[in-house]
Amino acid sequence: MGFERCHPAVNFLFFAGVLAGCWTFSNPVYLVVALLCAIAFYVERRGFRALQVIAVSLALGMAFALCYSSYHHFGVTVLSYNFIGNALTLESLAKGAVLGGKLACCLLWLGCLHSVVTTDKIVYMFGRVSPMLALYLSGILRMVPRISRQSKKMDTARSAIGRGRGNGNIFSRITHFFREVSALITWTLEALGGLSDAARIRGVLLKGRRAYSIYRFDNRDRALVICLFTFLSMTLFSVLLGQTGAQFDPYLRFPQVTALSSVGYAGYGAFCLLPFWLDVRTRIRFRASRRIVGRITK
Amino acid sequence: MANIQIENLTFTYPGRERPALKGVSLSIRQGEYVALCGRSGSGKTTLLRHLKPVLAPHGKASGTVTLDGTDIGDLPQRDQAARIGYVMQNPDDQIVTDKVWHELAFGLESLGCPQKTMRARVAEMACYFGIQDWFHRDVAELSGGQKQLLNLASVMAMQPEILILDEPTSQLDPIAASDFLNTVRKINLELGTTVLISEHRLEEILPAADRAVVMEQGELVADAAPRDIGRILFEQNHPMFAAMPASVRTFFAVGGVGECPLTVREGRQWLESAIPEPVRVPELPGKVTFTGEEPAALTIREAWFRYEKDTPDILRGVDVSIPEGSFFAIVGGNGAGKSTLLKSVCGICRPYRGKISVFGKNVEKYKNGSLFDHCLAMLPQDPKCLFVGKTLRADLEEMTKDPEKIAQAAELCQVTHLLDSHPYDLSGGEQQRGALAKVLLTEPKLLLLDEPTKGIDSFFKDKLAGVLAQLRFRGVTIVMVSHDVEFCAKYADLVGMFFDGQMLTTDTPRSFFGGNSFYTTTANRMSRHRFRNAVTAEDVAELFQKNQEEKA
Repeated sequence: MGFERCHPAVNFLFFAGVLAGCWTFSNPVYLVVALLCAIAFYVERRGFRALQVIAVSLALGMAFALCYSSYHHFGVTVLSYNFIGNALTLESLAKGAVLGGKLACCLLWLGCLHSVVTTDKIVYMFGRVSPMLALYLSGILRMVPRISRQSKKMDTARSAIGRGRGNGNIFSRITHFFREVSALITWTLEALGGLSDAARIRGVLLKGRRAYSIYRFDNRDRALVICLFTFLSMTLFSVLLGQTGAQFDPYLRFPQVTALSSVGYAGYGAFCLLPFWLDVRTRIRFRASRRIVGRITK
Repeated sequence: MANIQIENLTFTYPGRERPALKGVSLSIRQGEYVALCGRSGSGKTTLLRHLKPVLAPHGKASGTVTLDGTDIGDLPQRDQAARIGYVMQNPDDQIVTDKVWHELAFGLESLGCPQKTMRARVAEMACYFGIQDWFHRDVAELSGGQKQLLNLASVMAMQPEILILDEPTSQLDPIAASDFLNTVRKINLELGTTVLISEHRLEEILPAADRAVVMEQGELVADAAPRDIGRILFEQNHPMFAAMPASVRTFFAVGGVGECPLTVREGRQWLESAIPEPVRVPELPGKVTFTGEEPAALTIREAWFRYEKDTPDILRGVDVSIPEGSFFAIVGGNGAGKSTLLKSVCGICRPYRGKISVFGKNVEKYKNGSLFDHCLAMLPQDPKCLFVGKTLRADLEEMTKDPEKIAQAAELCQVTHLLDSHPYDLSGGEQQRGALAKVLLTEPKLLLLDEPTKGIDSFFKDKLAGVLAQLRFRGVTIVMVSHDVEFCAKYADLVGMFFDGQMLTTDTPRSFFGGNSFYTTTANRMSRHRFRNAVTAEDVAELFQKNQEEKA
């Protein structure tokens, strides 16, 4: 209802921004902000089942930090020595933690992207660039599952005469498998032929193709784009001021928190929180509207 | 305006001696509904493809095809695409994109219509065809009937003047087929679109058509009003006569005079006036072929099955026993679980409750593929699924290395002349028999057939029935799942009704279809107010004649 129902361009703008931010900003404040927002949005979309995925991503990030720090030995603050005598330093641990955090953060945002951006939206976005490309993409999205279904059908049919992938000893199983693969290739070529006929019947070769859009760019989308760009500019402002980076070698140095830098934090925080806020707001308003209707009709 | 003129069209495929089309001349007026009939391989598809230049086959052609006086090849590409709509046989092969909405918009996208026009037209189409409920669905979730309807809608979205349909319902079940043909009829009546359709289900289209055209070996052999076409074919003793509606066949078989009945209603009226009440011979002697005391080839006891833990049961306590040596037909609606039943007999689906025995032995006790060796085999719905070789011979060799056995099986299934063709190049009926030959090489004693008559014409059905009769002569038990009530009525020994995951009634075709009033053959629906158990056109004709003799 919320962010999911926005125009695909808004979705793409947001995810492009957030993923770019996640991947490039090393300042831990930015990282923590993005991570918390990602967790909030992911839980909002998937419910508390999502906690499993979140836990796994964070564990992965932490594992990466430990791994990184045991192979890199830069930095001045030695914490201890490992069994072959290499120094384990605070600096390499911190850098590993930031990189691992980036990884976990990107994974979570990609999970959100997966749940928000449907294939329809991708096809639409491609259609804006090249309608023909969108058509190919859509054709592939149709063909790939079809091939796997046909493969299953073939195997069922051949199992019923004792020639399936699971029939016979190991050698005949391998033979049966390769025969099915080769037949599947023939079938696919044949199906593609049929598909090209069908496409030509409806004039695929004509010049001046235009992509149909099932989306409309409405006023809410306009407002959201304005918000997103405002927040982005605030963030970019702090990028220009060098607020988003961090130094790990030879010693840790993070940008100082000043009145000016907090503009960047606020901008980035608002940017990352926008989809979560929109989803929650829509949900609350939906509930409220029911109550209001109840009051009117009572 | 959309006048199609085909003049003296002759066409030969490269590397062939015999032309696929020989001097075909045909003119179709604006708004006409023309039914094109003929056996498979008679050149129907070749002719239809010549009317759509992008599909025209390569080869040597002479003669002209014009649309409103312009040669069809000289029309601008845009006109060719928009003015001539074409729907092919296989619903799946024609859907290009992954979403229903995209498919509907496809043609308009090609024409480069402005967004606003596209939206309006797509909405219009979705409403006219009743697609709005599945507008956002994935095409993979649709049923065959819905897919074909979608194909029709997405062709109609381009607002063609001529709609060409090449056996559009051959892959559909009867209910979906009749829905589809009704929609085509509606388009013709309400929009005035010219319709040229080739079809096996003549029962359904002849009453709707303005004209019927019959092709044979690339030539037009008859071109007449639907009411007269039966007489012409009957007088020529033409094999296509066997494909005519039951009422027409009965009418001419008993030497009917006057106007020939085309529909069940007309057939009923004709019988009413020809055979006055009380009827002297109201029924045919029932044949008792199986008493129920024969040893059973297949016994299923209270089988329950579901595909996933949380999905509904597909088999809900199936209980049936099929006598050895019988030809048992299982009929029933779409999605009733008939195919699943066959799969569970093959051991592909394992019931979570109940027992399935083949020749008295539990299916699960057959070890190491012994079930498929001289015991049981299944012919799948889509025969293409079985083929893996470059030629049909190579495919048969996958089953056995014995050339003699291959020759015998090919002979039995009448595919000897096709052994060196690629299996995918064969027609539907030929593929069906090729696959049957392959299945028979396991030398089964119990043969399971899943919709063997799907997509094949009456001529090939008769051939298939001949093959099955020979198999039965050798003692093979045949279990067939089918939607084709006419075929079951004509050839099966026993018919079982499958509904809601259970086998409800089992009886001989005459008592079974004679007892039903909706789910029965057209011959029975036409004659049930006079005769009690006539289920085929031959039965009706026989009773008709007996009554005439009694009267005389």
